Amino acid sequence: MVIVEFLIKLSQGFGIGALALATGLLFGGIGRKIMARIQRRYGPPFTQNFMDLFKLLSKGSVSHGWAFDLGLVAGFAPMLAALMFLPIGPFTLLPSDSSLIMIVYLMMMAYLGMAMGVLASGNPNSAIGMSRALMLMVGYEVPFAAVIFSVYLFSKTGYLTQIVTQQAGGFMNWNIVKMPLGFLATEIALQGMLGEKPFDQAIAPAEIASGPMVELGGKYLGFGMIQHSVGLFLETGIVVDLFLGGAPNFWIFIAKQFVLYFIVILVDAILPRLRIHEATSFFWKLPLFLGILQAVIVIIQGGVLNV
Amino acid sequence: MNSLLALLIVPVIGSAAAAVLQRYRLVERLITFLTFSVTFLFLFEIKIGDILTWHLDFLGKNLEMGLQITPLSIFMLYMTIAFGIVLTFYNLSERSKMKGFLLLLTLAASNWIFMSTDLIGFFFAWELMGWSSILMIFGGKREEESRHGALYYAMMSIGGSYSMLIGIFLLSNLTGTFSIQSNVSYLTLILGLHPWWVLGIVSLFFVAFMVKSGIFPFHTWVPHTYGEAPDGFVPYLSSVMSKYGVYGFLIFLPLTSGAHVPSVLGLAWPNYVLLWFGSVTAVAGSVLAFMQDDVKKLFAYSSFSNLGFILAAIALFTPIGLTAGMFHAFNHLLFNGAIFITVIAVISKVGTTRMSEMGGIWQKMPLTFLTFFVGIAAAAGIPPFAGFGSKWMIFQAMISHGLIFATVLLFFASIASFLYLMRAFHAIFLGQLSHKYDNVKEVSAIGKITEVFLLGALIFFGILPGFVLDPINSIVNSFGLKPLPTSGYEYINGFFSSINMVSIFIVVIVTFIFGFALFAVVAKHKKVPQEDNYTAGQIPQDWNLTPEMYQFSYDFYEPMDKELAPFLKVKIDGFFKGFGESVEYIGEAIKEIFTGNVQIYTYLAVGGLVIFVIAGWVVW
Amino acid sequence: MSEWTEIVDYFRGRSMWMLHYCTGCGAIELPPTMTSRWDMERFGITPMATPRQADILLITGYLAIKTLKRVIYTYEQMQAPKWVLGFGSCTINGGIYWDSYNVIERLDKYIPVDIYIAGCMPRPEAILDAFVKLKEMVQMGEAKGYEKYVKNYDWYKANQDKVLKRTSPVLKEIEKVTKIG
Ligand code: SF4
Repeated sequence: MVIVEFLIKLSQGFGIGALALATGLLFGGIGRKIMARIQRRYGPPFTQNFMDLFKLLSKGSVSHGWAFDLGLVAGFAPMLAALMFLPIGPFTLLPSDSSLIMIVYLMMMAYLGMAMGVLASGNPNSAIGMSRALMLMVGYEVPFAAVIFSVYLFSKTGYLTQIVTQQAGGFMNWNIVKMPLGFLATEIALQGMLGEKPFDQAIAPAEIASGPMVELGGKYLGFGMIQHSVGLFLETGIVVDLFLGGAPNFWIFIAKQFVLYFIVILVDAILPRLRIHEATSFFWKLPLFLGILQAVIVIIQGGVLNV
Repeated sequence: MNSLLALLIVPVIGSAAAAVLQRYRLVERLITFLTFSVTFLFLFEIKIGDILTWHLDFLGKNLEMGLQITPLSIFMLYMTIAFGIVLTFYNLSERSKMKGFLLLLTLAASNWIFMSTDLIGFFFAWELMGWSSILMIFGGKREEESRHGALYYAMMSIGGSYSMLIGIFLLSNLTGTFSIQSNVSYLTLILGLHPWWVLGIVSLFFVAFMVKSGIFPFHTWVPHTYGEAPDGFVPYLSSVMSKYGVYGFLIFLPLTSGAHVPSVLGLAWPNYVLLWFGSVTAVAGSVLAFMQDDVKKLFAYSSFSNLGFILAAIALFTPIGLTAGMFHAFNHLLFNGAIFITVIAVISKVGTTRMSEMGGIWQKMPLTFLTFFVGIAAAAGIPPFAGFGSKWMIFQAMISHGLIFATVLLFFASIASFLYLMRAFHAIFLGQLSHKYDNVKEVSAIGKITEVFLLGALIFFGILPGFVLDPINSIVNSFGLKPLPTSGYEYINGFFSSINMVSIFIVVIVTFIFGFALFAVVAKHKKVPQEDNYTAGQIPQDWNLTPEMYQFSYDFYEPMDKELAPFLKVKIDGFFKGFGESVEYIGEAIKEIFTGNVQIYTYLAVGGLVIFVIAGWVVW
Repeated sequence: MSEWTEIVDYFRGRSMWMLHYCTGCGAIELPPTMTSRWDMERFGITPMATPRQADILLITGYLAIKTLKRVIYTYEQMQAPKWVLGFGSCTINGGIYWDSYNVIERLDKYIPVDIYIAGCMPRPEAILDAFVKLKEMVQMGEAKGYEKYVKNYDWYKANQDKVLKRTSPVLKEIEKVTKIG
């Protein structure tokens, strides 16, 4: 019986992974289209990312040894693992473990794995890119952490599933209404997490030859693309669950995610790239201030647990 | 023989044997290892509540001394001795200049510290521990520097010890006894009447503990000493010896969190202050760590940053805070041990501690590389390895109190730990392999066994944290607090969520299998050497491009340094350095008087004893 | 099996990433081709940063012998399937540099060229036309220059060596120039 259950979960997990990947790729494609329209171009078909991924997985590539291979696999496997704990609409594969911090740290494992892979290639450009990505992470994770903690105090729970159910019953119950400052800080942090302008220092193509991806080709780049797409789904999904009240079904969930991504794309289209230390210290100013202000408000409202 | 006594006597006998047979290095190392193992075997003989007392006729006074096993002490004993076994086993194959008999003396001292019921024994063991570790540091590779490091450490230690000594005298003067338990209960009693008195005395003790654990602002000795200590000893120094301070704090913390003390944000204010010391330590450690180029110094700072986490957690003195702190103490021992053991393995192979001169070692030492990787993953708090649970519990403990600023600071420290860990990871193991290291080999069979063991332990305690949390719960219970609920070995329970580590482990494994399957199915790849790399079209040979030149690891976070420079100027240049310099100045002055001889500390220790005796006359 | 290859070829044709090796004056025609006026991204063609990621190597004009050396190195760093696009008369027959002492005349003596674009310099329309043509060739399974290179490597190598020996030594005193500090 355990085995049957395991197999059912396995196939469901497979389905979720495929769905998230497809959504992420679709978002990427639509994003490119929107960007093109903003620049008054026709733009690629919105299925372009699928074709790119297919081509990458069928193209030859070079490997710099087993650490390189292991790193690239470790770059997207934990991402998929994190996905299994995310409440997607009404459905969560493993609801009893859907702890938010768990998901966040699993995503970090994916970044760590990716970092190991690209650094094992031995290219200084990827090292520069990685050092920039890490410095940026010190920036955006701090306000995001403040927001996460204020949500924890507000909802008195760490399970995403419960955070979602607490917001049931209409727009006025959503956390975005109850914690607007926190949402604002998260939205800015999301820009950094997704690495869109003005926070795309890590993969500056003209400057450091696309940074971490410099030695990746073929399937390795394909894995990077999978990681990015799933990460896109995961990060926007977390924000939807945290602030936009989850969703009654999958389509509304995707629609809400898309709204978030749309904002990110619009900001991306109009802003130039910051220098890395400006970007990091930017996150320590306004977003961190907003996040902490939100937390203080929650605490004053009586969020402290009595221990 | 009483097994409590055996815990003290066996190491001393082993130490004597090791000292006699010092010339035969292998025999000496074997004795060290065996003594640790035998001491460990005696641990199975003892159980909580065992007690042994004897009376000492001291200057006409009848002093009661004793040894006792509490849940806390047995936890500490298991932790430290087990780690010692691993380390001495690893050292069997190492040619480091570590002196086995000193390590065994330290072991005896540490066992005594953890079991002592009276302040005299505690202080004596504390001194013995400090003394033997200082002598050990003298044996570092670079003589001049290691002497400097040891002196620095000695100065700080002496300061701490005297502070503790004064505390002991004040206390015994008040109560007329040296028993730790009755002193603590007496202090609890008079806390309401004379809070300042009590806090004054307790802070005298805390200074000693802070020095030993390297808590801000007494951390200045940490990088100096760790950087210069013999390679084989550094893991012990950072994993085990930093925990003595934690033990000391735990003796006195129940006091300061009494109900009579005015509170800040629902927290007794001495605890609040300690918590801030801890948080600042965590942040300062992380920030200073990612600016280092010397790998031992980097992990020295990392170690004291983690001690900051532990202190911040136990300062809360709530069930979850205490559990988190102890759990992190255990995890820190484990991952820091794994990191330091792999690091010294690499250092012994490449012969330098400067990270910018290493690189690409993963091709030569794959197992060491994997152990290090899992070690830093655990240190970064990544599930499903050991380290995730404790960090997560620390955050929960902090935030449930509504301490948002401290929590954000700690989270910042935790993210910054990614920075220094990745820097070390990249600079040592990844990137381009220099031709200098073409002949570097993987560690010996003994080293491999140690590494596999550590690797297994990191995963085992990561997915089955209950094996650590159960004893910790009984510690929490022994402090009169209600332990966290338990629901099986695989669960980490907190306020906000309980996490089933096994299910996470399975999910991660399944996704990894899927990842490798996908990797195998799609188009083939071609293996290329590291020279075949993107160079913007330039041909490396034409430009005489060497692997060293194509490795970017020096000044890895230069933009960050720029951003943090204003803070560092104020804090480090102004205060830390000033403080450090003044201490160094005193050290230099004393060094001149005593011509930098090893004996100074001995003299000073003897001097301390003399003061002790005289004070005893005066008091009684 | 052949259906599978056809599907793969179809997607390869729809997603071609380009590494533009901007050696000659022709590079100036690329920005309009990429941006709003002509927008080559609608065919799935995007500029990429490194040879590892790219499918097309775009040689935009004349190649000095020193540059040729880099081009060959870059070409060999790319992974199959890969295509070369010769851009402008200079790559075809030397163009106005036909009698220059250090510029090669015919690119396809050194690396296999799948498509040439004639013109000095070719307009963006011509470039797009070439891309579409290349796409059709890839989808038909015709553009197999990279296989030709492997098969006739000796011939290419001989041709390359003949001119490249004129480039060595690049620097007389390497140590002096490249010494750091
Ligand atoms: S073909 Fe004409 S435009 Fe192109 S590189 Fe040669 S001379 Fe310049």
